[in-house]
Amino acid sequence: MKLPSGRYFLALSALFFLGGGLARAADIPALWAERVKCAVAVEYFTESESERRTTVAYGVVIDRAGTIILPPGAIDSHVPPGQLKEFKIFVPGDPVNATGVYLGQDAFTGWHFVRAEEKVRARLVPVTDFAAAGRSPVPALDEEVWGIGLRPLEEDFMPYILTSHVALIQALPQLTGEAQQEVAGPGLPVFNRAGVFVGLALNSGAQPYMLYSQMNRGGAPVLVVDVTESSLFDLADEVLPYLGRIPKNVDGRPLAWLGADGLEPMDRDVADFLKLGDQSGAVVSEVLEGSPAEKAGMKDHDIIIAIDGRPLPVFRPNRYVTDFVDREIERRRPGDVLALTVLRGTDRVPLRATLGDEPTLIREARRRYFERIGFTAREFVYGDAIERRIKVGQSAGVVVHYVKPNTPAAIAGLEPDDWIKEIDGVAIGTFADAVAELSSIEADQLRTEFVLLVSRGGDTAVLRVKLK
Amino acid sequence: MILLALALFSGPAAWAAGMSRGFNQLLDAVVRIDVREADFDGGSRRFEASIGSGVLLSSDGLILTNAHVASPRAVEITITLASLERVGAKLVGWDHWTDLALLRLDMADVRRRHLKLTHGEFGDSEKLYTGETVYAVGTPFGLTRTVTRGIISNSDRYFEDDNGVDGYETGAFNTWLQTDAAINPGNSGGPLVTEDGRIVGITSRAYLGANNLGFAIPADVAKVIVAGLVQSGTITRSYIGLVPKALQDFEAFFSLALDNGMLIDSVDPGSPAARAGLAGGDILLAINGRKIDGRFPERLPPIQNMIASQPVGANLILTVKRGAAVSDVSVVTEPLESSVGEEWVLDAWGLSVRKVSRTFARVNQLPDDTGVLVIGIQPGFPADTAGLETGDIVTKIDEKPLASLEVIKAAHAAYVARPAPTLFEVLRDRRISLIILKP
Repeated sequence: MKLPSGRYFLALSALFFLGGGLARAADIPALWAERVKCAVAVEYFTESESERRTTVAYGVVIDRAGTIILPPGAIDSHVPPGQLKEFKIFVPGDPVNATGVYLGQDAFTGWHFVRAEEKVRARLVPVTDFAAAGRSPVPALDEEVWGIGLRPLEEDFMPYILTSHVALIQALPQLTGEAQQEVAGPGLPVFNRAGVFVGLALNSGAQPYMLYSQMNRGGAPVLVVDVTESSLFDLADEVLPYLGRIPKNVDGRPLAWLGADGLEPMDRDVADFLKLGDQSGAVVSEVLEGSPAEKAGMKDHDIIIAIDGRPLPVFRPNRYVTDFVDREIERRRPGDVLALTVLRGTDRVPLRATLGDEPTLIREARRRYFERIGFTAREFVYGDAIERRIKVGQSAGVVVHYVKPNTPAAIAGLEPDDWIKEIDGVAIGTFADAVAELSSIEADQLRTEFVLLVSRGGDTAVLRVKLK
Repeated sequence: MILLALALFSGPAAWAAGMSRGFNQLLDAVVRIDVREADFDGGSRRFEASIGSGVLLSSDGLILTNAHVASPRAVEITITLASLERVGAKLVGWDHWTDLALLRLDMADVRRRHLKLTHGEFGDSEKLYTGETVYAVGTPFGLTRTVTRGIISNSDRYFEDDNGVDGYETGAFNTWLQTDAAINPGNSGGPLVTEDGRIVGITSRAYLGANNLGFAIPADVAKVIVAGLVQSGTITRSYIGLVPKALQDFEAFFSLALDNGMLIDSVDPGSPAARAGLAGGDILLAINGRKIDGRFPERLPPIQNMIASQPVGANLILTVKRGAAVSDVSVVTEPLESSVGEEWVLDAWGLSVRKVSRTFARVNQLPDDTGVLVIGIQPGFPADTAGLETGDIVTKIDEKPLASLEVIKAAHAAYVARPAPTLFEVLRDRRISLIILKP
């Protein structure tokens, strides 16, 4: 609307906007009250040998079966799912909680899925109820957006409203909105003026600040991260199509696997130098042994420049190109074919890799705690062989996952990540062999000591463990 | 009885009359050493000055000091004689493993100025007893020709340090004399002497902040090193790749006699011992039929030295026990190499580098010794702007693998002659990055 200019009209126009504002104030609270029902807080414990740690995260309800998604950072993906205990679902503002079940993590979106127990489901409303039919609206620059925040546990996760305006939309590599201020709690939904779901808040980005103090008058750069509210959100079309990716099992299997390790972005200067023009690329540091990439003929230091015939997009900053490649793999399933073009020297080499199923991950490895000795032994898996630069076929022994302080294992100098190769001079083959050997040592009350041969950073060490 | 009484009296009597002739002569042989050395750490060539001590060993101007006083990085060495005259000197050779270095005075200058040289004599460090009086002579904190007195606190002290001499390894092949004679910074390289002025050790280090815990390289070790450095300017040692550990308390577990065997804690991957099939947990019983005893840490350096003293390429028969089985294996020795490679600075890039050595590659689990390690970056220079960091390993420049320092020196020379974007392949935490250094 074109406004008359001049001092005289200023008061009038202010009045006009005030009126508009009042009209808005009338509908937003109603929209908000309805939409708060798709937000929950989730509390869970991570239980290890030595501690029980509680974590709180925010999630959004995605269906009428009580399924909730938590953002990728809500749960450490290295933790074995067996150590995640007692999921509790809190309806905002209500001191009573319901139990939940952890369903696993989806590799492509990174979301963790939790399902709320039956009794609370009637009080929850899926976010899809507020989604647009067809394609979701992309909020325009400076358009008003609002979302839900939750107060801490001691305030019963009381919900509140956050309002902001869109500052920027960027591909990181998924389309991401950045609001001018915090717009929702991480993991909670963002809506437009009409109450249509337009995005899901991500973990907040790090804000660069300067810290001045008595000690440092010149100031020191620090990064500040707000863990309760975020101004970043994935656009709705980066969210809604993937809500069906509920893991079939807690390990999130099957996991598509290429085996091109240590992807590093190729920057623009390098592309110029290699006369690639505006081409984006990802350098493969290492092609893993026995992987689909190796079978497809990929070599160490190849530069991936296209997937399925399409050149890799250019991102700002360019480091997101590696995320883009990872997502192209993760969105597929084992058995799918990935057509790649790599740059090798000056040659463009087409490759066709049939994706495999990711070898057992460290978080999936079997493990056993030995109370009397004081450490946890863990199965030696594919990643351990890669880490230690040995042939996968030579995998044997077990890895030390945890050493309890002041126990015989700790006093003997055993350290986490040590690779136990021999026990009492006998080479250890499988995890079961190690468990049998260590169990018999533990059970033998007359035993006073035993000897471990461990490998640590390529060297070995002979450790004497005194049991008494 | 009478003899004993005489002996008892003779000490104080000599003391009362002043120090022995030998001692006074030794004082005239001790020198102050001022060193200016190049430091490559900051991505540029800088110079640092330091002060140490030394002792003249011959009338033709040989001076013995510490490797951490005078190293190949030294660009200017100035000696202050007892007469306070100053004369230049050059490095003859160094050996960081024993922390010893040998210098030669500018004898033409000495003759031109008719300077008189006095030199010290080695004593027998094997015969030292704990409690014996010794004197340290040197230049603590620049205080020229300071004499401090103490006793031998321990004549067989074991310590090994993987970066004890300016980042180089030391101590694997010898034990040390420990003394409570006051040793301070600047004493380094000065002699530890008996009352008759015989050199029994070269003082090299002390625990800072402790009360008089000083250490010296025994003269018996120094004699061998001096002879080797005079002959060829370098000490060559043999290497087979065993990392020993004292058996201490393990004898029963391995069913060993109390005076035989050394525990092999680790075998370096790719080393002669590894190729011969040895592994951590094996027990080494004998070398070429000679029984060895590695029961205590103090006994390990002599065993290591015995292996190191073999000619490079020698065939050694190792008697090894694994479980109950005893067998002989044959290994051929290789030259011992430090993990610290040669250093260089590439000024136009603001980049200082160190060649990746075989040992460094092994310790850091690199595929081979291709590449240079970044040890310094000068802010604002091309290496810094492009994002190189200390600790990175540059493996290729413009697609050429860096097999030697010469390759990177040549690339740098080409850049200086005609500055143009240069492609670096960099290994960081097992990840490969490509970066461009721009003029």
